Amino acid sequence: MSRVLDSGGKWIGWAYFADLGSALALTFSYMFSRTVTMQYPDKEKWLPYQRYRGHHFLKRDAEGEIKCVACELCARICPCYCIEVVPYEDDKGNRRPAKFEIDMSRCLFCGLCEDACPADAIALGQQYEFSSFSSDDLVVGRDDLLAKPGKAVSGGAVVAAQFQAGQDVRVEATGTQGYNWWRNIRRR
Amino acid sequence: MELLVALGLIALKVAILIAALLLLPLPLTWLERKVAGHMQQRMGPMRVGWHGLLQPVADGIKLLTKEDHIPADADRLLFKLAPVLALAPPFVVFVAIPFGESVSVLGNEITLYASNMNVALLFILAVIGIEVYGVIFGGWAANSKYAVLGSLRTCAQMISYEIPMGFAVIGVVMLAQSMSLLDIVRAQSDVWFIVYQPIGFFVFFIAGLAEAQRIPFDLSEAEGDLGAGFHTEYSGIRFAFFMVSEYAIMLLISVLSVVLFFGGWNGVLIPLPPILWFLIKVAFFIYLFIWFRFTFPRYRYDQLMAIGWKVLLPLSLANIIVTGIAFL
Repeated sequence: MSRVLDSGGKWIGWAYFADLGSALALTFSYMFSRTVTMQYPDKEKWLPYQRYRGHHFLKRDAEGEIKCVACELCARICPCYCIEVVPYEDDKGNRRPAKFEIDMSRCLFCGLCEDACPADAIALGQQYEFSSFSSDDLVVGRDDLLAKPGKAVSGGAVVAAQFQAGQDVRVEATGTQGYNWWRNIRRR
Repeated sequence: MELLVALGLIALKVAILIAALLLLPLPLTWLERKVAGHMQQRMGPMRVGWHGLLQPVADGIKLLTKEDHIPADADRLLFKLAPVLALAPPFVVFVAIPFGESVSVLGNEITLYASNMNVALLFILAVIGIEVYGVIFGGWAANSKYAVLGSLRTCAQMISYEIPMGFAVIGVVMLAQSMSLLDIVRAQSDVWFIVYQPIGFFVFFIAGLAEAQRIPFDLSEAEGDLGAGFHTEYSGIRFAFFMVSEYAIMLLISVLSVVLFFGGWNGVLIPLPPILWFLIKVAFFIYLFIWFRFTFPRYRYDQLMAIGWKVLLPLSLANIIVTGIAFL
């Protein structure tokens, strides 16, 4: 108490609890500010930015052929050795992967495979919901990687979503138009 | 026959009061969690029912179905008695509280109070003092160090804050020249007593915060140092008893603030039904309790005692002296 009094001229504010009053005003103003809660997974879902490094996917070329040339550069550069590529020669005489497995439980999502790829065949997408009860499910093969969703056009938004608890639990975005979550953050 | 009707009416009023007090924690917990959420930029309960309205019901079912655990070394009789002792006084007190003058139902005038005691204020202060037994028995019977420490703290707190609280209302009694709450409200039909008794209200409200064990005076359940205070060892429905008692006291302090200092059911400017005015004022004070809870930090124990004995007590005594001199 005395320290507050000594700090000069503030004793009137102290006597009338000015600091308590301003604290009450602050919490009251916060009560009517926007909430930052994202109602995941029932109602909303965060669609990450395009630069986001999520689940890998393999690309196809214009003829629908897999782009990968099985050079194994991604497997070489991978810091946690989670990519396994076995090449073969298809009927056109091109080198293609017979086996392309990524162990998602070991991957650290550095994106070096994407950088190393000479054929622009592999990339990290925006999918981030692939948790599983079994670590066996996390070893993803070639065909699954081809079927994974690619880069979304939009990103960086909270979109409406639906929670689906069926065979595999999924949160599906029902819309593409969303709001940027960061607008809810209050800055002073 | 008339006696039977009168008795039936009183029984009905008491039944309504008990039902209302038992059910009130449901909306109050919802409101508290909602206000807490929004003050912290969260949403609060959203999943059960519309905007989480049914969340308290779900919580109630959870509390009812939980194991009623009694510690091995506990004093079983006292352990079972304590929640009842904590719950009963706040309920008893509401018998003396008027909620309005009277309403006419089917041509009969029905008063909005269970009884018009001429010592209502004294009765309330006396009965609410009994609640401290529930607290100390609960802490003692559990035979746990956290519970004992919590109950000792709470007892000291409640006893020391009852004194300034009692002194604070004396100013009101002097102005109204009656201890009957009905007469006190009638005396405020022109000017509310808050105008004459700002210090009295200040002391009363702060002591009320401490009596209700709400932040910034919720030393009894200082989670960081005491677990949950005197009800650390309680679970299930017995814990719910303590919670209901806490909410009932919070409501009681709000109601008393309104009746003693804010004109009861007397309205200003806008002509609303008196009971509505009363409820609006009470709701404001309940919101104030919740608002305080999520704004202020908790006082240290020595600060709590210092405020009670060195600030509130002299203030309330000075208030009595000044009121007395002005009154003469």
